[in-house]
Amino acid sequence: MIYLISETSLLLNYLITIIVSIAVALLLGMPFLPEKPRRFSWTKSAVFPTAIIAMGILAFCFSINFYWLYDGKLLAIIIGVLSAVFVKYLFRYVFPDSPNAEGGNNE
Amino acid sequence: MNEIIGLIIAAIISWLNFVLIDTYLGLPEEPGVKGADNVGHSIKQRGGDLSGGFFQGNILCSPDASAGTLLASIGFMVIGINGGILAAFLVYIGNRLCADPGYAGTTGALTMTVILTIFCDYLGFKPIMFVVGMVIAIFVIQGIHHPASTKLLGTIARKFNRYTKLE
Repeated sequence: MIYLISETSLLLNYLITIIVSIAVALLLGMPFLPEKPRRFSWTKSAVFPTAIIAMGILAFCFSINFYWLYDGKLLAIIIGVLSAVFVKYLFRYVFPDSPNAEGGNNE
Repeated sequence: MNEIIGLIIAAIISWLNFVLIDTYLGLPEEPGVKGADNVGHSIKQRGGDLSGGFFQGNILCSPDASAGTLLASIGFMVIGINGGILAAFLVYIGNRLCADPGYAGTTGALTMTVILTIFCDYLGFKPIMFVVGMVIAIFVIQGIHHPASTKLLGTIARKFNRYTKLE
């Protein structure tokens, strides 16, 4: 596969966006990990889904060859910050809330 | 590398990736939606295992590690590492829209991206082998014989301490 930037630089960008998104999410008061049992938890946390969303949007920008300044590092930082803000304040407007046992979440 | 041998190894790796991650993240434990519950009980009536039936119903009703593995392989085939990570993100969105927290699908896609990077960049495999291998792997689980495959899934769930407590 041909990338416009080196593969090391690509992985470094992902690492930067993960670290920035987790740090900003922690600053905004989200927990680091969901509460136990983690596999059934719907809590928004710093690792999941903030880091996943940051990586996904960065992957989208890189896959259309949009790197911008400093081989994509500035983009990685901006997307990390924005994805943490998105998960904290706008997540509930985009994705449906967890369905509860009684069925439906409109009560 | 010989295509047939590569295909067989890729099918085994894909099968292990999605079955182990899905089982560990609790798919056999409870049905996420009503459809999965119906599938589980229908398979049990036909002589299968209830826990394996919930597993089958869950991978049928929302994109879990099976879909994550397949989409990561396709993404990697088309646009490299970025495609695998993009697949994880898209699987996550699909999961949330299907009333699923999304751990299994995302983890499956990310681990498959790592596996594909190792196998395709350093060991001479081609990404297309993993796409075909995943189709074979999911055919083994969903396509041949439900009672036998659910019994195997139930045994794996017991080993992982994820067997269902529902009746």
